[in-house]
Amino acid sequence: MSNRIYLFKVFERIWHWSQATLIILLLITGFEVHGSYQILGFETAVNTHTTLAWTLVGLWLFAIFWHFTTGEWKQYIPTLQKVDAMAKYYLFGIFTDAPHPFKATTLKKHNPLQRLAYLFILVFVGPLIWFTGWFYIFYDNWIEWGWDKYLNLEWVATFHTLAAFMMLIFLIVHVYLTTTGHTPLAHIKAMITGWEEED
Amino acid sequence: MSLAKLVRVLAVTAGMVLAANAAQANTDPAPAAPAEKKASTSTADHSKFKELQENFATGPDVTKACLKCHTEAAKQIMHTKHWTWEYLNPQTNQLLGKKHIINNFCTSISSNQEFCTACHIGYGWKDDKFDFSNQDNVDCLVCHDTTGTYRKLPGYAGHPPYKDTEAPAGSGFIVKAVDLKAVAQGVGKTSRKTCGSCHFLGGGGDAVKHGDLDTTLTNPSKYLDVHMAKDGLNFTCATCHETDGHNVPGSRYTPVADDTTPHIRGKKNADPETCQSCHTAAPHKHNARLNTHAVVIACQTCHIPEFARGQPTKMSWDWSTAGKLDKDGKPIRIKDSSGHHDSYDSRKGNFRYESNVIPEYIWFNGKVEYTLRETKLDPTKVVKINTLEGSPTDGKSKIWPIKRFTGKQPYDVGNNQLVVFHTYGKDDSALWTNFNWDKALEYGMKEIGAQYSGKYAFVETEYSWPTTHMVAPKGDALTCAQCHQPSIGVGRLDKVPGIYMPGRRANALLNTAGWAIAALCLLGVLVHGAGRIYASRKGAHK
Amino acid sequence: MLKAVVGFVVGILVVAAGGFMAMPHLMFNETASPFGFEETIARIQHNIADNPVLQEKGWALSGLRNPAKAVQNDGGNVLPVQMIEVCSTKYSGPILKEDTVRFLSILMPCKISIYKKQDGKVYIGTMNAGLMGKFFGPLVGETMGHVAEDQKLFLHFDPNTPAPQIILPAAPAAGGGAGGGGGGC
Repeated sequence: MSNRIYLFKVFERIWHWSQATLIILLLITGFEVHGSYQILGFETAVNTHTTLAWTLVGLWLFAIFWHFTTGEWKQYIPTLQKVDAMAKYYLFGIFTDAPHPFKATTLKKHNPLQRLAYLFILVFVGPLIWFTGWFYIFYDNWIEWGWDKYLNLEWVATFHTLAAFMMLIFLIVHVYLTTTGHTPLAHIKAMITGWEEED
Repeated sequence: MSLAKLVRVLAVTAGMVLAANAAQANTDPAPAAPAEKKASTSTADHSKFKELQENFATGPDVTKACLKCHTEAAKQIMHTKHWTWEYLNPQTNQLLGKKHIINNFCTSISSNQEFCTACHIGYGWKDDKFDFSNQDNVDCLVCHDTTGTYRKLPGYAGHPPYKDTEAPAGSGFIVKAVDLKAVAQGVGKTSRKTCGSCHFLGGGGDAVKHGDLDTTLTNPSKYLDVHMAKDGLNFTCATCHETDGHNVPGSRYTPVADDTTPHIRGKKNADPETCQSCHTAAPHKHNARLNTHAVVIACQTCHIPEFARGQPTKMSWDWSTAGKLDKDGKPIRIKDSSGHHDSYDSRKGNFRYESNVIPEYIWFNGKVEYTLRETKLDPTKVVKINTLEGSPTDGKSKIWPIKRFTGKQPYDVGNNQLVVFHTYGKDDSALWTNFNWDKALEYGMKEIGAQYSGKYAFVETEYSWPTTHMVAPKGDALTCAQCHQPSIGVGRLDKVPGIYMPGRRANALLNTAGWAIAALCLLGVLVHGAGRIYASRKGAHK
Repeated sequence: MLKAVVGFVVGILVVAAGGFMAMPHLMFNETASPFGFEETIARIQHNIADNPVLQEKGWALSGLRNPAKAVQNDGGNVLPVQMIEVCSTKYSGPILKEDTVRFLSILMPCKISIYKKQDGKVYIGTMNAGLMGKFFGPLVGETMGHVAEDQKLFLHFDPNTPAPQIILPAAPAAGGGAGGGGGGC
C-alpha cells in the first residue's frame, strides 16, 4: 500500500453516479415499455422514461462541456497499445495474481480496454440510443416535419432496443470489472472518493 | 339516558323531520312536471292549423294535408335512401339498399315487403308494384311524431293500426288504433324516439342488429352515451346527422372512415356526422401523443370500449335449425339465460346474445363490398356479407372497432348464390306459416324472377358493422395498457397488422439474442469471478 | 454461527415474502367459465337451487347483486359483474351464535362472483372457504370445510343440460347495486 492518486474530480464523480442511476432507471423503465415485464404500468413507464431521458440529456450537455473545457476528452482517444496484455491479464493473469499491466495516472485514467469500451459506447451506442430516442420522443411531430417519409417506428424502436441491450451488457461487464482492482472494492472507492490507492 | 344523549337523539329526530319536510317540499310540485317540458320555440303551432282539424282515416290522408303547406317535402324525401331503399355505391358500382341486399339477419325484404316495410317511411309497400312516385305514400308522421303514440306494425305494409290490433297475432297484446289527428297536430322535430322506432329495432327486434343502437338510447344515461345523455348534452340523432332537405348524412354503405377534411360545423361540404366535424382531427388538447394515435386510429376505437353496453345485442343467428316443432306440431320458443331473449325460435332458428362486447378491430378505409344475390360464393368458406376494405398502407384507412355478426343461412347449392326466401305472408308458402324451406325458397326466388336450382343448403356468413354510436365518457376510454400492456395478456389491437406497438410488437430475434447475450455475459462474469475467488483461496493456501 | 443465524432469518423472510405475495391467490379462487355471462350465473344458481343434496344442507339463494349498476349510475362503465349470494343457516347459525367469531358475519352470505374480463371471457371468483376457516378455530374451520365442499357442487357444470334462466331476486334491485338480499342470512 503506497501511493494514492487523485483520479476522479468532483464533477466527474457526480456525473458518473448520476449517469449510472439514470441509465439503470432508463433500462428498467425502457424494458417495461418494451414489454418485458410490468412494474410501473405502461403509461407511467413511458412518462418516466421520457423524463429520465431528458434529464440525461441535460447531464450530458454539462459533461460534454466539462470534457472539452478540461481537455478530459483525450482520455477516450483509443490506443491499441497493451490491449493484448490487458486481454491476457483478464484471461489468465488475474487468476495467478500477476501484476496489472496498466497503471492509472491522472493523464491516463482508463486502461486500454476501458478506453476502447468507453469509446464504443460514446461513438456507437450513445449516438444510436440518442438518435433513436429522439426520433421516438418526437414521434408526434414526424408528419408535421415530414420525417414520416424516412422513418419507421418499428425500426426506430428496434435500434433503440438494440442499443439498450448493448448498454445492459456494458453495464453487467462494467460493474463486474470494477471489482478487478487490487481489492474488489478499490475501483468503486476511487469512484466515490476520487482517490485511487495503488499497491 | 344521559342529558347529552337525549339532546343528540332529539336533534337527530328533528333533523329527520326537517329532511322529510324538505323531501316533501321537493316532491310537491310534481304535478307541475309537464310544465318542465321545454316550450316549443317553433313559430308554428300545428294544432292550430285548419288543415289538421280533420279526423284522418288513413296515413296518406294526413300526408295530403302536410303537403298542402310543405309542398317540397315529399319530393325531397323521394330522393333519399329512407324512401327508395336503394343505393348505387359509386365506389363499387354495386346496387345496394334494403331493396337489394341479402343480409344474415332477416335476410331479404323481397317477397316479404308487407312485413318489413313497417320500417319504410311510406304507406302501402306490400309488393314490387309499390308506387314510389306517389307523394301521398310518404309517411311524414313516423319521423315527425312527438306524441310517442304513432306506431307501425309489421305485416301492414307500412300502415299504422287504424283500429285496435292484436300484435303479434295470437299474443293477446292489443295495440291501440293510432289517433291520426292528435299525431298530425303534434308534429315536430325528429327525436331519438322517432329515429329509434326503426333504427333501434333493426334486424327484427330491440338491439338485434347494431350493438351500438338500441332502445336504451331513447333516454340514455351518461355512462351509455356521453352526447345523448338525457341529463347531459341531450343530443338527438339529428344533432350529428344534421339533416339538409330531408337528406340525412351518414351511411353504412359508404361510411366516412377517415374524415380528412373536418371542419367545425357550418360548412356544407363536409360530413357533419363524423367525430371530427365537432372535435377536429386533433382533439386531445393536452396530449399530443393521443393526437398522433388519432392519425391511424378511429376515435371510436378508444372511446367506444365495448358495444351493447345498454343491453345485449344479437351476435349470431343460425337459420339452419329453424322449423323444429313441438310434439303437437306447434312452433316453440326457448328463452336464453337472461330471460329476455330467445335462444331458439322455430321461425328463425338459434340465436346468441351478448352484452358489453369487446369489439374486433380492423383497418377500414370506408369502402364496402357486398356479397349480392348475384355474387358467386364459395360455400366451403365463411361468406362475407360485406367486406370492409382497408390496409395499414393505403393512407386512407384507420383502425376501427366492429361488431362481427355471424350466421348460417340458406344458399342455392346448384348456383352457389345466396337466396331469397319467403318468410312472411298470408299464404301457405311462407316459412313462418308452414316451416317448409323448399316452398319458402321457391316462392321467394320466383318472386324476384331469379334462377333457383331447387337444392339448398346452409352456409356460414358474417357481417361486419363499424361501431360508432354509444360513445362512452372520456374516463372510460381505453387506457394505454389495454393495447400496450394488457394485464390479461390479450391486447385490444393484438390482431391488427401493420402497426408497431411498443410493448407488444418487439422484434423476436433481437429479444432472444439480446437477453441471451446479456445472460451469457452475466454468467461469464460470474464464472470469472468464481474463478478469481477460487484462485485467490488456492493462492492463500500456498 | 452468525452466518447460520443470518441465513435462517433471511430464509424466513424470503418464505414470508413469498407467502405474502401468494396470499391473494390462496384466499380466493378464479376460474374461467366455459359459458357466457348470463348462462354462467343461471347455471350456478340452478346448481344450488335444484340440487337436493344442497337443499338438505340448507343452502338457498339469497340475492343477486350487480356492483356495476352503481358505477353506471355514476356515469361510468365497467365490464359486467354480478354476485350470486347464497346462504345456509345450518352453517351460519352456529357461527352467529358464538360471540368469539360473530364478526365473521361479514363473510355472509357466501358470494360467488361472475364477471367478464378484458379478454372477453367470463370468470368465476370464489372465496377459498376451507383455507380461510382454518384461521378461526375448530368451529369455524369445520363449518368452512363443509362450505368448501359444497362450493365445489355450486360450480360443477353439466354442459349437456340446456341453459337455464337466471333466477332474479324477489325484490328487484333498486339501483346502487343494493339489490337482492331477500332472505337467507
